[in-house]
Amino acid sequence: MTAMHNHSNAKSIGNEPELNDAAVDEMLRDAHVGISRVLWSIKRPVARAGEIPSPIGKLFFAESDRGLAAIHFLFSGSGDRTIDRLRRKFELVENEPASRRIATDIRRYFDGDIAVTQRPVDLRIVESDFQRRALEKLRTVPAGSVISYSGLAAAVGKPDSQRAIGNTMASNPVPIFVPCHRVVRSDGSIGNYGGGVPNKVRMLRIEGFKVGPGLRIGPRAVFGNRANSIFCRPECPSATDSGLIFADADAAIRAGLRACRRCMPA
Amino acid sequence: MASSGNSIFPPPFEEAIKRHEREIMRFILRSAGDREDAMDLFQDTWLRAYRAYPSFKSTVGFRPWIFQIAANLCRNRARDRVRRTRVIVLASDGVAGACADSDHAGLLNMKHAIARLPKNQGRALMMRKFEGLEYGEIATALNCSADSARATVYKAMRKLKAAR
Repeated sequence: MTAMHNHSNAKSIGNEPELNDAAVDEMLRDAHVGISRVLWSIKRPVARAGEIPSPIGKLFFAESDRGLAAIHFLFSGSGDRTIDRLRRKFELVENEPASRRIATDIRRYFDGDIAVTQRPVDLRIVESDFQRRALEKLRTVPAGSVISYSGLAAAVGKPDSQRAIGNTMASNPVPIFVPCHRVVRSDGSIGNYGGGVPNKVRMLRIEGFKVGPGLRIGPRAVFGNRANSIFCRPECPSATDSGLIFADADAAIRAGLRACRRCMPA
Repeated sequence: MASSGNSIFPPPFEEAIKRHEREIMRFILRSAGDREDAMDLFQDTWLRAYRAYPSFKSTVGFRPWIFQIAANLCRNRARDRVRRTRVIVLASDGVAGACADSDHAGLLNMKHAIARLPKNQGRALMMRKFEGLEYGEIATALNCSADSARATVYKAMRKLKAAR
């Protein structure tokens, strides 16, 4: 229904004459002067957003001026919750060039160009500081390695908060780029994934981490310690599960770690 | 609204409201009765809707949603006026000198009568009679069926006539 249509149908109260469009437009211009005085202080920043294809299925993305703010696997859920979280912080605007750019980056990742995941991310929709710290710490886990929930909890300085780490991973707003697929269970099984376990295995494989039989970390896995740049066999007394886990000794060496002289893993 | 086509999220607020601004202003102008109040109420409506927009769901329909906000604000303003007028009347010891002009008094009486209606009846009446929303749109705004919306407007009209 157009404004003109309403105009002719609407009934007025009192003796106020109906205004023509020009007079109403003038009132609107004046009103917007007042609105803009308040709006600057409450205005939500813009995020470019849209649906994009990918080698694993349809995705939703949002990108602010600071970086990628969201990736959602549309094939595993509607994305309503992610979009609700985003809309509280951003004004979402469809943007074709951004859609093409992000889709290209994701395709390159699945073709093996892991460096594209280093693009900046915007974690403003993450409400808690703890969760934000956990996600930022997770970004330092190099491709080709994984970390356990307890290891990540320890790395954030809260060694008893594995469950909170699990919740943080489940609500990670930017999967793939904040690599929650690199978090595994302490018992050696690779655990769940919002985009589906087969995709988790696929992404780890692309990054050079080969998952062993039964969806568990392989028998050749070694534990790396970033603090002293040493890697050990899991059974080594010096080994700790609060660090990184590499698929094998070669992967740890490629990441710049040296073999433990006690357990001689390589 | 180019971006609202098949998108899984609503268009940006300013894009969504732009096409309705004239009719919202006219609606408010008719409800408020004077331009100064209308300007004020339009700004309140715009900013309140902007703040609430993150919780707006496309399934509701933007038009009924924004008109509900405008209608609520107009109704609140009318109710405030009733309260203020009561104070004036009491202060002047029963002499209704505040409403010297008969047209203005008629308008004020209408507003008082609407403000006294049950909440949903007042809203439904404002949306139907002042802005010409369809019963289906009113039903969406009030979360009821179209028949129920029609009945609500009918009851409101009957009460207004009885109050004359």
